Amino acid sequence: MEKKLSEMKYGEKGIVKSINGKLRDQVAGMGIRVNKKIKITSKQPINGPVVVTIDESSISLGRGVAGNIVVEVEK
Amino acid sequence: MNILLMGHPNVGKSVVFNRITGANVSESNYSGTTVDYAKGYVRVGHKEMELIDVPGTFSLEPKDKAEEVAVKMLNENKDSVVICVIDSTKIERGLYLALEIIEMGNPVVIALNMQDVAEDKNIQINVEKLQKILGVPVVSTIAVSGKGMKELMFSVKKATSSNIKDIVENVGGNQ
Repeated sequence: MEKKLSEMKYGEKGIVKSINGKLRDQVAGMGIRVNKKIKITSKQPINGPVVVTIDESSISLGRGVAGNIVVEVEK
Repeated sequence: MNILLMGHPNVGKSVVFNRITGANVSESNYSGTTVDYAKGYVRVGHKEMELIDVPGTFSLEPKDKAEEVAVKMLNENKDSVVICVIDSTKIERGLYLALEIIEMGNPVVIALNMQDVAEDKNIQINVEKLQKILGVPVVSTIAVSGKGMKELMFSVKKATSSNIKDIVENVGGNQ
């Protein structure tokens, strides 16, 4: 099932399917690219950032950014 | 000619800087400790070179003030050697920045820092192969203990500019 990163819940894992346009270069430096495994480490309340784990490093992303990344969620 | 220390936040650039220059720039285990930059001097062979500790940056497209400083410094020092410090445990994203710097045309040396941590995590890196692919010197280092610092400074003398096209060819990919 495909979901936006911002819609994923705490603990969910998956593989990055697509990243919207301009954002691709912006997040590439942080190690986020298509076909990478990703895991939601935490989600801060009141539209706060989403913290994800990629390659054992945590990265926090604003909801705006997270809304533009589509992930194939593992069951 | 200058030497620039570049890399992601929290990979140990300032520790390398202190090791090489004997200075005492603040180090801490938080990303973004260096927002301003520090300068020091080192003797390479018979030349005295200026070593600059650049704030950490994820890529060469600045997203905040510290990154802006970093990119500006790279642009202002066109012919300087860049020591690209990479966290060996997060090598993939580190190489992304390294490639961006290589693309700028500066002579580059890559320091694969935190080798000890990588070993603990059972990450093995084929330094020679990486060196062949990238066409620039690659040195394994442990900045906190000082391992590899001498080799690193030796390779600064050997630093060359590499070419992205050759790198792509070396890995057998297409652009």
